Amino acid sequence: MIFYKRDAPLFIKGCCIYFGCFSMATLTRQDLNFGQVVADILCEFLEVAIHLILYVREIYPSGIFQKRKKYNVPVQMSCHPELNQYIQDTLHCVKPLIQKNEAEKVVMVIMDKEHHPVERFVFEISQPPLLSISSETLLSHVEQLLRAMILKISVCDAVLDNNPPGCTFTLLVHTREAATRNMEKVQVIKDFPWIVADEQEVHMEEAKLIPLKTMTSDILKMQLYVEERTQKN
Amino acid sequence: MAAKISKLEEQFQKDAPREKQKDGTSSCIFNGVAIYVNGYTDPSADELRRLMMLHGGQFHLYYTHSRTTHIIATNLPNRKIQELKGEKVVRPEWITDSIKAGRQLSYVQYQLYAKQKSLNFTSICARGKPDLSSTSDPFKPSPSHPQSDSIKPQSSHTQTLSKEVLKSTHTNHTANFTENGSCSIIFEEDTERPRVNGIHDGDDETCALLPRGSQDTLLTNGYVHPVNGALKPQDSFTEHSSHVVDTGSHHTHLPQTESRDREEPSCSSAGSKSTSHQRSLISTARTSAAPQKGNLHDQTRVRLNGSYHTTPNSSNLADSSNHPGKSGQGAEAGIISEFFSHSRLHHISTWRNEFSEYVNALQSRRRAARGAVFSGKEKLKKKKKSVFLFGPGSLMAAPQVRQSCILHVDMDCFFVSVGIRHRPDLIGKPVAVTSNRGPGRVAQRPGANPQLEFQYYQRKQKQYRKGKLSNGVDLDLAALSMAEIASCSYEARQAGVRNGMFFGRAKQLCPDLQSVPYDFQAYKEVALSMYETLASYTHNIEALSCDEALVDATNLLVEVGVNPDDLAQAIREDIKEKTGCSASVGMGSNILLARMATRKAKPNGQYFLRSEEVDDFIRDQPVSSLPGVGRSMSSKLTSLGVSTCGDLQQLSISRLQREFGPRTGQTLFRFCRGLDDRPVRSEKERKSVSAEMNYNIRFTQVEEAESFLTDLSMEVQKRLEGAGLRGRRITLKVMVRKPGAPVEPAKYGGHGICDNFARSVLLAQPTDSGQLIAAEAIKLFHGMKLHVKDMRGVGLQVQQLEGSHANPSGQGSSRGRSIKDLLLAKQPAHSPKKDPLAPQDGSTSTSSSRVCSSSQERVTHPSSPPSTSSDPVPGTSKGGLHHPHPPNHVRTCLNVTIEVPSPSQVDQSVLEALPVDIRKQVELSWRHREEQPSTSSHLSTPPRTSSSPPPGPSLGTLVLQLPHQPGQPCTTGIILELPDFSQVDPDVFAALPRELQEELCSAYRNKRNAQAHVQAQSSAVMQKNTFPQLKQPAVGKLKHRYKKRNASPAKKGPSPLKKLFPGNSPAKSSPSKTLPLPLKQPGLKTENVQCPSSSSTDVPETLSKFNPRPVPTLAGAYEFSDIRTLLREWVTSISEPMEEDILQVVKYCTELVEDKDLEKLCLVIKYMKRLMQQSPESVWSMAFDFILDNVQVVVQQTYGSTLKIT
Repeated sequence: MIFYKRDAPLFIKGCCIYFGCFSMATLTRQDLNFGQVVADILCEFLEVAIHLILYVREIYPSGIFQKRKKYNVPVQMSCHPELNQYIQDTLHCVKPLIQKNEAEKVVMVIMDKEHHPVERFVFEISQPPLLSISSETLLSHVEQLLRAMILKISVCDAVLDNNPPGCTFTLLVHTREAATRNMEKVQVIKDFPWIVADEQEVHMEEAKLIPLKTMTSDILKMQLYVEERTQKN
Repeated sequence: MAAKISKLEEQFQKDAPREKQKDGTSSCIFNGVAIYVNGYTDPSADELRRLMMLHGGQFHLYYTHSRTTHIIATNLPNRKIQELKGEKVVRPEWITDSIKAGRQLSYVQYQLYAKQKSLNFTSICARGKPDLSSTSDPFKPSPSHPQSDSIKPQSSHTQTLSKEVLKSTHTNHTANFTENGSCSIIFEEDTERPRVNGIHDGDDETCALLPRGSQDTLLTNGYVHPVNGALKPQDSFTEHSSHVVDTGSHHTHLPQTESRDREEPSCSSAGSKSTSHQRSLISTARTSAAPQKGNLHDQTRVRLNGSYHTTPNSSNLADSSNHPGKSGQGAEAGIISEFFSHSRLHHISTWRNEFSEYVNALQSRRRAARGAVFSGKEKLKKKKKSVFLFGPGSLMAAPQVRQSCILHVDMDCFFVSVGIRHRPDLIGKPVAVTSNRGPGRVAQRPGANPQLEFQYYQRKQKQYRKGKLSNGVDLDLAALSMAEIASCSYEARQAGVRNGMFFGRAKQLCPDLQSVPYDFQAYKEVALSMYETLASYTHNIEALSCDEALVDATNLLVEVGVNPDDLAQAIREDIKEKTGCSASVGMGSNILLARMATRKAKPNGQYFLRSEEVDDFIRDQPVSSLPGVGRSMSSKLTSLGVSTCGDLQQLSISRLQREFGPRTGQTLFRFCRGLDDRPVRSEKERKSVSAEMNYNIRFTQVEEAESFLTDLSMEVQKRLEGAGLRGRRITLKVMVRKPGAPVEPAKYGGHGICDNFARSVLLAQPTDSGQLIAAEAIKLFHGMKLHVKDMRGVGLQVQQLEGSHANPSGQGSSRGRSIKDLLLAKQPAHSPKKDPLAPQDGSTSTSSSRVCSSSQERVTHPSSPPSTSSDPVPGTSKGGLHHPHPPNHVRTCLNVTIEVPSPSQVDQSVLEALPVDIRKQVELSWRHREEQPSTSSHLSTPPRTSSSPPPGPSLGTLVLQLPHQPGQPCTTGIILELPDFSQVDPDVFAALPRELQEELCSAYRNKRNAQAHVQAQSSAVMQKNTFPQLKQPAVGKLKHRYKKRNASPAKKGPSPLKKLFPGNSPAKSSPSKTLPLPLKQPGLKTENVQCPSSSSTDVPETLSKFNPRPVPTLAGAYEFSDIRTLLREWVTSISEPMEEDILQVVKYCTELVEDKDLEKLCLVIKYMKRLMQQSPESVWSMAFDFILDNVQVVVQQTYGSTLKIT
């Protein structure tokens, strides 16, 4: 079990408009590799979800978020360029892993001031070993499921305790065994290396597990749960 | 550079105190101000620098956009003005005056020229007394300020004016205030003016020189275009000494608000004499005192325009008396259908659909008539024959290899060539099709500010094309016709005229330009005959527009045996002959290349882009010639250093995808290599139906807008009905005048500079009802909270279309049409047939059903058993291995359909044993299947056939599939594969003849024995309970309910089973279990599809590796609601839970954890918690604790943390 992490940038004041380029990839083109499609869909979703979690969990001030529509539901997106860049870069690195079905979990860890994790949003991903795409309709089905997940995230504060002030976050990816070496070898984005995560970021003492949503579709099975530290403050 | 700038700044900071010391008088009135001096100024730049030092300001030697706050200049070249648009450019007097005043004055009065951003009221103030403006309080001197304030200033204002008037002794005028507080000075002669104003001839200068008269609040006539040099005298007042105001006077436009101000600040020199310049100034400055006059005048202008009688548009024009404040013309009843029935754009755009339909109709006619007569093709064949007879010709060149060939047929300047086909006198002359036939000049309307709009568009354009100013818009344009040129001849194009250019401008470029009116009837005729011509060759036509079509000639070429060039030649000759117009043809191996070739072929030519030339050809093409690359994308590409496709080829696909998104990136990547796999589609699915009107929309009241929306909805309804579609998503698009844009756009009735807004709503049901659409649209409209007066365009679009006749899940629906829908839709169709086997007498029914089951037998091979008998944990794996068999389907199958496995699956001996007629039937269906490959795209393995039914009515039927037992005594002589007991529908079972029932029971008994044997070592807990319970179902009632579905045949579903089987022996009945669930779950469904009975021998290697995890079930229940029902029944009906049952639940929960379905687990546990802790028996509470503890341990092991159960 190896987690990789990247630290999130510190928040810097200032705003700029960020035009997210979200479009549901279509599966109609045969020449697209299937794994790539899954990775596209998933990374797109993860981006939306991470932004939304940041908003819902109040990691960053709500002023930097803008309301947008994705999967036909309103979501919040940060318009802070560096933050967005970090998320995008991270996901960009995760994408090849998902493509090869090497990423098991993508974890968003929320840490308190002392860098002890207080919450971990875990996206546990599994892809069916035999992949197939049948038709457009399945895609809309996936979209429905993703929408449900997004909606669940936006109300997750109801089941979670408030975070202490001054939290930061980091993104971890939990790879399957063999992916480790490749990760070190191939940097997808220059100057954006991955490091093995600290044990303390991976494991939380006395954590409580709160399942948020599970989705099952032909192309992807994913569940989202939160591990929450029992004593947050 | 940056270093230098910062060094200079440092120096400045250092020098500042010294300077202050030297001078002694310092202040900080310019705190926060950073100036940049451009060009010659008085006082000089050095002096200004010193002053800034003294007074706390900053002085930049280099202009930096972000940090320099003001630019000081007295003269700026045109280019600079364009560049510095939006910046504060002020005269140096601002600084000196501010210092004099001892505080920072508002810069607005000192602006060198008016800005583009905003408009506002202008007013006249005496110049010649700079002190007045500079000393007066900048924050409240304005006569055009709120009314309350305006009284005092008014007097001074009128005073100054009257002074001037006295000097000029020409006019008597009064000053008054309009309601909105803007100062208006109405000259009495104004009454005569409007008439004259429209005509900008030299002799009316006198009249046109009137001072600006009344100014409607938003009229911006005072604004003067700075393009020709801001330093030219900007005020029309001062230009001619013979008139009105004294020459020395300046207008200083007092600000309404700081940001809103605009004005030519009037350099003092009244020098410029360019008449044309003046004229345009006048025209902009002209206002009419009375709106009525303006209307009158506008109508005149319309006539002048020459378009009054000629085009439908202008008839609309004429209708709409330009009453901005009176009646929104768009609100008039019937206007919409009239608009659409006249709008040329609408016409032309609908033609494409019409021609698409025409092509469709042709095709269907051909289908009906079985082979149409392709006259053109025949001709071509004949011609080829003659070539063959009279010489080798191009015969040998005919392509032997079947290579796809697309023809792109495009008429040459369609509108023009149609327009002049009966006018030979115009051939070879520059001709343009436009609504304007006059001299190309029109008068100005009040409220219009064409310069502003030109600049706006120019600036917009400049964003895209850096430095390249487009078609030389200049001041004079104000007076030119704004009628657009729809099409112009190649001669005209040589002179620089372009399609879409305004006629007035074109006339300037090319004085002999002839204009030809629109002739829609002719266009339609010609277009139709063009399509007919094409259709005489082939029906593989895609209509692109009225004058453009794609033809897939691949088959045609092979059939006729000519080469593409000959075909193109023939087509072009044909078209020329039939229509009198020339066409160009581009040919290529795909649509992209064909289109690009057309570009090269034009005019009146043809070009075949051979595949070997493609690389060289495409490398030099500009990226903008690729489809989908518009302005914004090409500018983005330019910023990446890409201008040609060759450059684009250098970029990697990942780079492109990162820049443009996965799909566009991919497309670009392929396009720039000449790759394009779009097929020529003769039938196109419509994505949306809409109606939009952005011409002549002027509302005054909300009600007008509402009734307009209703009318528009009716129009949409008409179109939806026409297309036979319904839609779910309704989008309202509104164009709203951009704040600051002129009230009247340059183009009459046009929308001018606008902001676009759109809102959409998703309906529960697709609709084509205009009423419903209107209601939604009005709701959306109110939600937008717009100012109705500012609305300039309204559009309604309906998306997510479905055929109006099909049921919601029918074909063509863009939204989720799932397999489930498909099955459910089919199910009812079968139900009438599901009469049981009863009508047949005992013996025949037995034999026939036996035959059925044997012929359905998927797996008869002796080596098949592993799946059922050797599986160590049948409880978990077997359920997934078998297909769900909805009961009624089984019955249907038994009675009606023979489901035939693929040939490889059937034991030859069995087949031979079948009666002849049945064997024939089986063979027939195999043949059938070969012809019609399975539609399912999941797996191409034989087992799939069970779920992807063979063609015919059997869709939705599923097979009764009996797992085979090794060494099992077969009473019938045919090896039966028994399904798991849980798979057998009790209804079916009950309906079976007695004989068969007994047979099945014995088979199951045997099977159980075999299973027990195998499972002895794997010993699942529940296995032990299996058999005893079977014998005593009454006692084990509870246990049954909680047995794993497959582990225990004794397990039972909820009550229905019991009711159904009163007469049957428990042993027989209890194993049966309905399993309707998988069908309801598309996701699960496919999983089931993917897990065939792996016992089949010829399952491919890949498949056998794939052993999918079955969906966790509790006593066969999968869906949460069923689980809940089950749990509730358990807890409520039993006072004391039994251990096995608890273990079952724990096992189920564990499976959920393994299945990574924590969400469900959590729900189940929470539900149990509620149930059990509420239960009066404390045992239940303990049971829950036990379950929870066990589950938490599992979760802890798997996830390292425990569930939070609240």
